[in-house]
Amino acid sequence: MKILVPVKRVPDPATTIRILPDGSGIATDNIKWVINPFDEIALEEALRIKEKQGGGDVALLSVGQQAWQEQLRTGLAMGADRAILVRADQPLDTLAIARVMAKIVGDEKPELVIIGKQAIDDDSNQVGQMLAEMLGWPQATFASKVEIAGTKCTVVREVDGGVETLAFELPAVITADLRLNEPRYASLPGIMKARKKELKEIPVDSLGLDLAPKLKIKALAAPAKRQAGRKVGSVEELVGVLHSEAKVI
Amino acid sequence: MLSFELSEEQQMIRETVGAFAREQIRPAARPADESGEIPAALAAQAWQLGLVQGPIPESLGGNGDTRLASTGALIAEELAYGDLSIAAHVLAPRLLAFPVLEMGTDEQRQRYLKRFTGAAFAAATAALTEPRWDFDPAAMATVARRDGNSFVLDGNKCMVALAAACGTILVWAASANHGRVEGFLVARDTPGLRIGEREKNMGLKGLETYAVELTGCRVGAEARLGGEGGADFRRVMSQSRVATAAMGVGVAHAAFDYARDYAKERKAFGVPIATKQAVAFMLADMAIEIDAARLLVWEAAWHLDRGEDAHQESYLARNYVAAAALKVADNAVQVLGGHGYIREHPVEMWLRNARGLSALEGLATV
Repeated sequence: MKILVPVKRVPDPATTIRILPDGSGIATDNIKWVINPFDEIALEEALRIKEKQGGGDVALLSVGQQAWQEQLRTGLAMGADRAILVRADQPLDTLAIARVMAKIVGDEKPELVIIGKQAIDDDSNQVGQMLAEMLGWPQATFASKVEIAGTKCTVVREVDGGVETLAFELPAVITADLRLNEPRYASLPGIMKARKKELKEIPVDSLGLDLAPKLKIKALAAPAKRQAGRKVGSVEELVGVLHSEAKVI
Repeated sequence: MLSFELSEEQQMIRETVGAFAREQIRPAARPADESGEIPAALAAQAWQLGLVQGPIPESLGGNGDTRLASTGALIAEELAYGDLSIAAHVLAPRLLAFPVLEMGTDEQRQRYLKRFTGAAFAAATAALTEPRWDFDPAAMATVARRDGNSFVLDGNKCMVALAAACGTILVWAASANHGRVEGFLVARDTPGLRIGEREKNMGLKGLETYAVELTGCRVGAEARLGGEGGADFRRVMSQSRVATAAMGVGVAHAAFDYARDYAKERKAFGVPIATKQAVAFMLADMAIEIDAARLLVWEAAWHLDRGEDAHQESYLARNYVAAAALKVADNAVQVLGGHGYIREHPVEMWLRNARGLSALEGLATV
């Protein structure tokens, strides 16, 4: 089975993020970059499907700059078979990214796309859904369990207050939630093999797509510093404070 | 011509093994120290990283990767950053696999290396250290005497990691004929080989180590590592010392990171104690020791990777690191004050483990 796993390069969740003084973005010096953790879960699921089926092709896809190769190599070291980097040096919004991915899906013809439910940098949670819509494929978002039998797929997904089970025909787009699996560590032999695997670069301009941004980031701001807690004397006082100060009841 | 730049693969190996050490090994360190046991599931997960299988040739089921002492040093440091006992446990199979890989005859490679290419943790070890106050690896008291087409081994070994779980032990012994040290691949159930009680140690309490007695232990001539040509024991010792030293850097680094973070959090007189010169200077000295120690390890590994025996460099590194790791771990206990002495913080465990580095030889290899 051919599976495509789009991955995004994001700051390590353990990194302390600093916003640039002019609010235009984040300071990228001294940041450690990693594969978006939800995309890593998506890759793990793709590798498990391949292992269970006893074969197949797991391809990674990134849309970004030269440096994104590092994360693609990490994904190859985990066990992906090959990687595609669509080189785009300009920032692209979610709609443009989804358009690029739809084009690559059209060329690659995978039977399944598994992607993280969102990237932990901007938390947009849009690309998987947009991609499915553009392709006219079924989509199963926030997957916590995936089962495949032939061309039939069953996904258990997390919804408010419980879980929902969806059944649909492949090809489809699945977005991975946290509880889907625990990704493996790359092995040392896997790391040594990664360099010999195919990493294809495609210039984004060669795709002939309308990538003009529809979204403009006006400013980024850090959340307000958390205030220290305080003790209250009675339930009445607590209710009063929650009502008049915190305004949560 | 001089460069400290890691290759892309080395960088990835360092990050992957480091992540494994922080996320999987570190949380298991204190329970292993308390219970004396390392969970089999953790050893199995570490095995999946391919710590042993990588350099074994493809024809024997391995990956056929180039084996580099510098990469081995990175791996040993990162694993020991998580925990020294667990690092020594998961690296122990290398003590047999790597000398066989590098110095074994074709028959020995065929016979012994395949067992390391499966999916399950394959315990193996080497018996080097002897329970004598004047133990010197170059003047061993364990003797191998040639008797027709076999060798008879006699002597006592100690600190043999995982001995009770291994099918085969690589025993290092001095030749009664020429005095040089040679290796012998001895099946655990060979008559004359007796594994004693598990040793009770000050540190490294998660690691199973045993005394091994050899009394008229007879093995065939084919058990001699490298056959008639023998093995390069000097090189084996250099590799072992680089690994031990690298693990010491990992222990020191762990202790330093913990003490630094504590000093930035812990307040006295209204300010973090890290802002007090008495503490800040101590932390700076610890950081200097760690960097200096690591550079000695890397230099020795670099010599090994050039095919040189690195006898002196590896000894200097190993000797310096043993003192540096002890000093850094002791300072970490000091930075934590009274908290450093109680078992709720790991620094007292690291101090006990670091003390072992000056007492122990042959716990790992690169």
